[in-house]
Amino acid sequence: MSKIKISMLILVLVLIVSASLFVLPKVINPFQMDTVERNILFSIRFPRVVVAFFMGMALGVSGAVLQGILRNPLADPYILGISSGASLSAVAGILSGIYFFGKFTIPLAAFIGASLVSVLVGFFGWKKGRLWPERLLLAGVGLSFLFHAILMLLMSVSADERLGRIMFWIYGDLSTADWSLIPIASVFIISGISISLSRAKALNALILGDELAHSLGFSVRKERLLLFVSISLMTAASVSLGGIIGFIGLLVPHVMRFLIGADNRFLVPASALGGGTLLCMADLIGKSILSPMEIPAGIVTAIIGSPYFLYLLGRRDVLRA
Amino acid sequence: MSSEHKYTILHFDDVGFFYEKNKEFIHELSFTVSDREFIGLLGANGSGKSTILKLASGILNPSNGSIRLWGKPLQSFRYKDRAKLLSYLPQLLDMNVPFRVRELVAMGIYPYDIIPEMTLSEALNMVGLDGKSDLYIKNLSGGERRRAFIAMTLLQGAGLLLLDEPLANLDIKYQIEVIKLLKELKEKKNISIIMALHDINMALQFEKVMLIKDGKVLGMGNPEIVLSRDLLKEAFDVAIEARSFQTAYEIRNTGS
Amino acid sequence: MKKLIISFLLLTSHLLFFTSVYAGEPPNRIVSLAPNITEILFAMGLGERTVGVTNFCDYPNEARKKPKVGGIYNPSLEAVVSLEPDIVVMTTDGNTKEFEERLRSLKIKTYVFKAKRLHELPQGIRDLGIALGVKEKAEGLSREIEISMNRLTNSSLVTHYSSLKKRVLFIVWPEPLIVAGSGTAIDDAISLLGCENIAKGTYTSYPKYSVEEIIRKSPDVIFIGEGHMNMKETSRALLKKISKVPAVKNGEVYYVSDSIYRLSPRVIKGIDEMARCLR
Repeated sequence: MSKIKISMLILVLVLIVSASLFVLPKVINPFQMDTVERNILFSIRFPRVVVAFFMGMALGVSGAVLQGILRNPLADPYILGISSGASLSAVAGILSGIYFFGKFTIPLAAFIGASLVSVLVGFFGWKKGRLWPERLLLAGVGLSFLFHAILMLLMSVSADERLGRIMFWIYGDLSTADWSLIPIASVFIISGISISLSRAKALNALILGDELAHSLGFSVRKERLLLFVSISLMTAASVSLGGIIGFIGLLVPHVMRFLIGADNRFLVPASALGGGTLLCMADLIGKSILSPMEIPAGIVTAIIGSPYFLYLLGRRDVLRA
Repeated sequence: MSSEHKYTILHFDDVGFFYEKNKEFIHELSFTVSDREFIGLLGANGSGKSTILKLASGILNPSNGSIRLWGKPLQSFRYKDRAKLLSYLPQLLDMNVPFRVRELVAMGIYPYDIIPEMTLSEALNMVGLDGKSDLYIKNLSGGERRRAFIAMTLLQGAGLLLLDEPLANLDIKYQIEVIKLLKELKEKKNISIIMALHDINMALQFEKVMLIKDGKVLGMGNPEIVLSRDLLKEAFDVAIEARSFQTAYEIRNTGS
Repeated sequence: MKKLIISFLLLTSHLLFFTSVYAGEPPNRIVSLAPNITEILFAMGLGERTVGVTNFCDYPNEARKKPKVGGIYNPSLEAVVSLEPDIVVMTTDGNTKEFEERLRSLKIKTYVFKAKRLHELPQGIRDLGIALGVKEKAEGLSREIEISMNRLTNSSLVTHYSSLKKRVLFIVWPEPLIVAGSGTAIDDAISLLGCENIAKGTYTSYPKYSVEEIIRKSPDVIFIGEGHMNMKETSRALLKKISKVPAVKNGEVYYVSDSIYRLSPRVIKGIDEMARCLR
């Protein structure tokens, strides 16, 4: 049963990827390409799809893992303030106009910002030798508000020419994706996913509660820390690739849980697949629907995501009191 | 009544524990649990029952004294190895876990690399949940949920079970069934059980009872002796008497 | 001797930089990433060679018919590349270093038009003209602009106003209240016309201004940019709030077209418009 669902999902992914590469916004026939088309296919479309897939995977898995660690189905990687921290950092980079590392500057700034916030949240969430879900959550939300406020402050006093660019980055813009960032980002993302997958049993146990997880033979402190680190890596890498894209971390695990169950040994890879597919689809829609104007993928996910999220709230089997 | 005990499984030696500085909660606690023992840990709320179980399971570390499992210090065990030897079931069970019954119970084999003897269906059978393996935990009644967790603990197959008020929320039918089941396990599989409870009458079912007040042992041994009027008054602050309801149960069963 | 060689090398490299791009024929395929650039290109006679513009390039009329590459902040990389441009001209406004870098990594030539202020416009056009191989046309265009600006500065009207020290405010949008502060072409225009911009000294170019501050600074003249909306309607509420201010009391509130918004040859028209209102 689940195998059929997963196969269908893979089929959908293949369709979306094919459409992104060969069909939209303009058809490119791979067997009859001229140099310009070849250039577009390999230098623009291909890296874009790869970036979208990696980001989607990272966000999907981070969402699934975080919902497990925090024992909260409403958790999203950005609830921990990682997105605000990354945005603040990236925006500060954009505004300062410092461009030491060329095109790596903004992604690097975003990565550093995301990582710093993770450390901060971890620091506040740490007490008596381990991470506490409630503390993590509160620290994350609190820091999120703080950074967001600082970000708004920066934006309100900044010169307007760069403002537009900032808005687009904040909403998740994949339009300038190229190959250069992919190697290093993918290392972080694959590592994060591997760590999460290897600790999937521990994650299942953590969901039952700290004491039961301990009884089942897991070091709660070690597992939670390890999983938290993997989330931070993945999310920071994702943010540095293409900005903030919401809802994927929140919704994909929900949908996958509904389709194949809550066992993280299957949920984690399924969320990777689902997240990658969803983001590829969102980016495809964003670049095609008002072509040649591009809608950032983050806006598309928000438009699709919010109503679906509200619909989820109405379902009995999702958030039963 | 009690068969020969060959091994010492758990040994508390002069254990002390405090939650806050200078306020000792558990004082100089010493006791031994051998194989094939079924011990009831009885006391008022806040008397220290849960703390003792948590100390025994390694969730809490003693501030002084030592705890030994099979002769070795508890803290020296690798987590997985310890999980094969003892399992702990807390009093409060989260109802919001997103798993199905069978997924939850199957988690009992996590400490193991190979599948243990007991199968999933056996475990479910023992707690009377065989027809419900596909249901979601959050859709079960409180009692059914507890039984599912008990099944998971059973599947974990540890030699020492530490259960914190496992009879809470259970119908009397299931309370008795669980006690019967645990007694069976003790006999057939040489398992030892320490169970915290505060139903005094149920405590009479046990061969051995530890009566706790304010982190100190008031008495340990045969319930008929330990649950005397004086000690009970000290433990629970009220004049009461323990009476076995085995009689009551038999009356119901003879169909009148 | 060494110094001579170094200065010679520096000089030639500078010359090379300025003349390198198109010493001979102007490029055949130009893409513009900003409306004001499109206008300048057409004004320099490069309209035929412009093969791509943004969705917002609406002047001159011929520009509307050109293939579109997206918005100012979000142009489509693919659209630009598929037009096979010889050069892409962009501004610092909105377009970003990232996009430029990306184009360059795809081996597409770019030119960044840096002029943002009124007095930078003529030189900016000259430099653009050199880079695109239409030096004379550009020279002519920029001289025209300089002459017009001079004419305005030296006109009797303006000298009259200078002595009056008229206080002026330019409202870009009434609600939320956004005005033209220092560092904008509009601010330059106001100074050109010998008046004082009451919103000068703000930290950003188009700040959200406080209504209180307008009342306190009591401008003599208020300009409101037309834009695409019916500004008279939208600004009604605001004007009511500041009705005691001299500009409103004396009926010196003028609605002007958006010519002044774009830093292109048309900006002169905008300044003229403002000058006529002041008369």
